[in-house]
Amino acid sequence: MVVVGAGMVGHRFVDELVRGDVAGRFEIELVGAEEYEPYNRILLSEVLAGRADLRALGLPLPPQERVTFWRGVAADSIDPASRQVLLSDGSRRDYDHLVLATGARAFVPPLPGLESAPKHVHVLRTLDDTRNIAARAMNAKHAVVLGGGLLGLEAACGLRRRGVPVTVVDLDTHLMATQLDQAPARMLAAQLRSLGVDVVTGTSVVEVISAYDEIVAVRLTDERLLAADLMLVSCGIRAESALAADAGITVERGIVVDEDLRTSQDRVYAIGDCAQPPSGTTGLLAPGWRQAEQLVASFLGRDELDPSGVGDERPEPVKLKAAGVDLVTMGVRASQACDHDRVLSVSDGGARRHVDLVVRDGELVGVTVLGFPEVSAALTLAYDRRTPLPADPLALLVPGGSSGAVEETPSPMRMPGSTTVCRCTGVTKKQIVTAWEQGAATVDAVAGATRATTGCGGCKEVVCGLVDWLNASDPGTAAESDSGPVSTAVTERNIPVRTTT
Amino acid sequence: MTLTPSPAPDAGEGVSVAPRAFPTSKGGLCHKGWTSGSVLRAPDRITEPLVRNAAGDLEPTTWEHALSMIAGTVRSIQAEHGRDAIGVFGGGGLTNEKAYQLGKFTRTVLRTKHIDYNGRFCMSSAAAASNRAFGIDRGMPFRLDDLAGTGAVLLLGSNVADTMPPFVQHLAGVRERGGLIVVDPRRSATAALTDPVAAGEGGLHLQPLPGTDQTLLLGLLHLVVADGLTDEEYLAARTTGWDEVRRSVSLWWPSRVAATTGVPEEQLRRTAALLAAASPSRGGRGAMILSGRGSEQHTDGTDTVTAAINLALALGLPGRPASGYGCLTGQGNGQGGREHGQKADQLPGYRMIDDPAARAHVAGVWGVDPDSLPGKGVPAVQLLGKLGGEVKALFVHGANVLVSAPDATAVRRRLEQLDLLVVCDFVPSETALLADVVLPVTQWAEEEGTMTNLEGRVLRRRKAIDPPGQARSELEILADLARALGSQVHFDTEPSLVFDELARASAGGKADYSGLSHAVLDAEDSTRGHYWPAPAGSGGTPRLFARRFAHPDGRARMVAVSPGAPEDDLRRDAPVYLVTGRVLAQYQSGAQTRRVEALNAVAPAAFVELHPHLARLHQIDDGDDVAVTSVRGTAIARARITGTIRPDTVFMPFHWPGDGMANAVTNDATDPVSGMPEFKVCAVSIARADLFVPAQVEVLV
Ligand SMILES: Cc1cc2nc3c(=O)[nH]c(=O)nc-3n(C[C@H](O)[C@H](O)[C@H](O)COP(=O)(O)OP(=O)(O)OC[C@H]3O[C@@H](n4cnc5c(N)ncnc54)[C@H](O)[C@@H]3O)c2cc1C
Ligand code: SF4
Repeated sequence: MVVVGAGMVGHRFVDELVRGDVAGRFEIELVGAEEYEPYNRILLSEVLAGRADLRALGLPLPPQERVTFWRGVAADSIDPASRQVLLSDGSRRDYDHLVLATGARAFVPPLPGLESAPKHVHVLRTLDDTRNIAARAMNAKHAVVLGGGLLGLEAACGLRRRGVPVTVVDLDTHLMATQLDQAPARMLAAQLRSLGVDVVTGTSVVEVISAYDEIVAVRLTDERLLAADLMLVSCGIRAESALAADAGITVERGIVVDEDLRTSQDRVYAIGDCAQPPSGTTGLLAPGWRQAEQLVASFLGRDELDPSGVGDERPEPVKLKAAGVDLVTMGVRASQACDHDRVLSVSDGGARRHVDLVVRDGELVGVTVLGFPEVSAALTLAYDRRTPLPADPLALLVPGGSSGAVEETPSPMRMPGSTTVCRCTGVTKKQIVTAWEQGAATVDAVAGATRATTGCGGCKEVVCGLVDWLNASDPGTAAESDSGPVSTAVTERNIPVRTTT
Repeated sequence: MTLTPSPAPDAGEGVSVAPRAFPTSKGGLCHKGWTSGSVLRAPDRITEPLVRNAAGDLEPTTWEHALSMIAGTVRSIQAEHGRDAIGVFGGGGLTNEKAYQLGKFTRTVLRTKHIDYNGRFCMSSAAAASNRAFGIDRGMPFRLDDLAGTGAVLLLGSNVADTMPPFVQHLAGVRERGGLIVVDPRRSATAALTDPVAAGEGGLHLQPLPGTDQTLLLGLLHLVVADGLTDEEYLAARTTGWDEVRRSVSLWWPSRVAATTGVPEEQLRRTAALLAAASPSRGGRGAMILSGRGSEQHTDGTDTVTAAINLALALGLPGRPASGYGCLTGQGNGQGGREHGQKADQLPGYRMIDDPAARAHVAGVWGVDPDSLPGKGVPAVQLLGKLGGEVKALFVHGANVLVSAPDATAVRRRLEQLDLLVVCDFVPSETALLADVVLPVTQWAEEEGTMTNLEGRVLRRRKAIDPPGQARSELEILADLARALGSQVHFDTEPSLVFDELARASAGGKADYSGLSHAVLDAEDSTRGHYWPAPAGSGGTPRLFARRFAHPDGRARMVAVSPGAPEDDLRRDAPVYLVTGRVLAQYQSGAQTRRVEALNAVAPAAFVELHPHLARLHQIDDGDDVAVTSVRGTAIARARITGTIRPDTVFMPFHWPGDGMANAVTNDATDPVSGMPEFKVCAVSIARADLFVPAQVEVLV
């Protein structure tokens, strides 16, 4: 088994295969072009933002005794006829099965001014990219991020967090056009601006202007010039499919695979960002991981069980990972809802908060939450796990709808007599009142008579309050009072009176 | 507590109970404690041996007849089916002396490998994880009163405010400091302790989806690494395996964890920050991570505890002042019960039964040939699964498996298939009522002995009154049975002598009691206490790990783990999770507490706690009967509607038999390492009872 690409998906595939193949049927070789140990690519934006230590990136190393790992070695070509892969170190590896997990690279549009490859124009895909951008950010005065998608915005926020003024430029009329409707996108732009990230939409960069090989500005469609000494191009990705194409394997937007992840070439499979399955490409991790699991299962002859047991897959939740912006979006957007769907939208401009929920046949099928972290995790879970919804979906918007209102400790006066005051010993207010009526005038005396407060002691305050209230309700003892002895009674105002004998 | 033999309001004519200043309870007693006297004189207390007659009823008989009948049947079963055809099921409520003697009886007289105990349902996952990480398993490796001085406590799946109310007093300091973090899918009484308190800020309640505790812990460790909060010096000097563990949490970044657990990212970050700030390596007062059944009773329970321990180690906590990982137990002697031989794979002193040196030592104390000792048995759930098959007869001591074991309906079916069921109990528990022979035994105030609490502290139990009728201690019963079965092995019946023998058997083992005796314990100063390991002349060990861990290299072993999904997970036809637990006024299967009027008045029957959203969806009103159904069975109980539970989760207490028996619904899938069943989560559907249509049940003839 030869796996090409030690990225997020190739790594997962090998990990699953090693775990599942207890009998050691497969001899596994992993070929990865990057010099580094396998790392978590998703966290690069966090690293760029200075929010994650580099040490948090390292992924588990493939166990040496099971996997031969060719690190820093690229696969240069495939020879399907002899079932061999030619590596950049000149060696050839035989395969029975070849899994391509070559991922994707950032797409850089052919902009005038880029041909000369001026300095400080970057993409963000690898650890090296991240390091270079972070290094430049130390001296940069103004950065331009081309592309207002998920990655571009994460990077923009990250640069801003490093103190660099940033402008995001996007050709679409609004940010994250693939995932968001107009309204939440506008709110998002407002939130970004409040963080110091400028947003320019409906326009693009037509020219990159440089001096002495270094970028100094960009010209926009509307002729505006933006000073820039750091530029990040984040205009989507292109599948890394040349290796496959050169071997005569069918490639369209990615390496074309069928439902079982087989390419057009016998014994060659593709998974992750480089693959183009019938359901289309996403550029997200979760589908790639599922493909890795599915392929391992089929190699091991296991029936692919649907682990969630809920049937049809749903589009992945997408979460913007940036400090200061809490945005999650998944499934059907409000603008895509059908007539019979229930659509709930809250647009709270002052708080820069926006929520769209789409409920179809009693199921939550679409969620967009911006600026409302108290509910976003719960909503993601309800969408993902299809847990039962409240009869009125409006309730989903109440934070702590899951945790419920905190019950206040009722004031001693207003609580009903049947209220349990001491949970540990099951003593009610009525019992305490009775004890007081029978002469227990201090907390200790009440404790002696009823056992209240003798467990965890948590009710001491309340018992104290009760005793104080009782004592206050009976200023001076009844013996001294003018009205003379009264019988034990609970008056209309619920104030008990002590019997004197 | 202090006992006075006297007629007392709650206790009939047994003893009266009063609290006593003691470091563990700080003088607190809960309702169960106050009313415990009445269990001694429960109206239906069994006071004479009972044997099932030809008509199928239990009828009184003499000890001689009961014991000889047992001996005869055991002999013939073993002659026909071999020694392992007898099973023994012990309890975490037995004294150390009884637990020890039961293990010895099983290994030397019955010579069957089939012994295990209900403590398997209690601390087994934590025990397995602690052994793996630290090389030793003591619930808390520090003193309980160390809690008072610590800066942060992460409490996982433990409702101590209900199960051990006096414990809450130890949390006062940490609550004032705003350092209490409770993880529970319900806003339990314990979770409510995180509300701001008069004296301070309270803390944080994380309310994850059931079954996602491990993910939560991995996410916290990820944050600790990402934020550079690890104690690298400690990790390098005192642990192995850190590199793999660090890598293994790389994939649990905050937004992924938030989406899996339902816990907002912000709360994850605050938790990690609180724990780190309280860590001694960062100048804090100390931080503790404590786990309970909620996080342990899962098929990945051992790994979940391992994740908790890894987090503690990454922060450099174990062995540092007022810091570390600990497990909370809710069973009187869950700790001691497993140290002395009730566990399928252990001999006294926490020795492993497959270790030749351990076998030789213990066999020496018992005066038998090491080779005559049986090997490893199987954990509780698997043992119950063998009933009626490989195991034809079962002795039950201090357990009510019919109510307390998962998939209880199947357990009943299997118990009914036994050739012989012997139950030692003091009340006619549901399991006793099914027995062929019921032997009346003594209970707490009627006997001498010792218990080992969650801190590994050995406590004396003292006799205040005589047992009623013909009730006898298990120590005598086991000695008599040994004789009746023709064994030459000596069995003491005097608790202090049994303890002395236990101490010798444990000498040199992990749980070494050889420096202790009843006399030493009786002389103890309660503020000091005797904590094992207590080798001869040592005076005990209140705190472990200050210098080294119990593995041969002295280091803690970190093991990378990954979360497993609940074995019985949500589906379209079972879209809600059931979690089970205890209520304050009842205990375990309720065999004791359900016999106390005052407790039943507070907690009369089973109930189903559910969120108003879920209730409305199913047109359930407060107080309606609700049917909770899994693939294994249905339980029906009153609805209690409350906003304090997640809308995707229902809760049932497991103290009651009959219609409301939660364990008819729970899953008996077990953790592959510890054998712990997955009590704490399974997928169910719910319906108002009058609308509930039972699935077609196939009747097997
Ligand atoms: C900064 C950033 C943030 C992201 N955030 C998210 C997020 O929040 N959520 C989400 O779902 N997704 C996110 N993504 C996308 C996610 O990282 C990808 O979907 C995922 O990495 C795809 O995995 P892969 O293994 O298919 O490709 P990759 O991770 O790109 O790995 C491919 C590997 O193959 C190697 N390779 C290529 N060709 C060869 C060859 N010929 N020989 C040897 N090796 C070769 C490459 O060097 C690379 O290491 C993010 C991406 C980035 C860059
Ligand atoms: S039940 Fe537990 S908490 Fe209550 S009194 Fe007994 S030991 Fe104490």
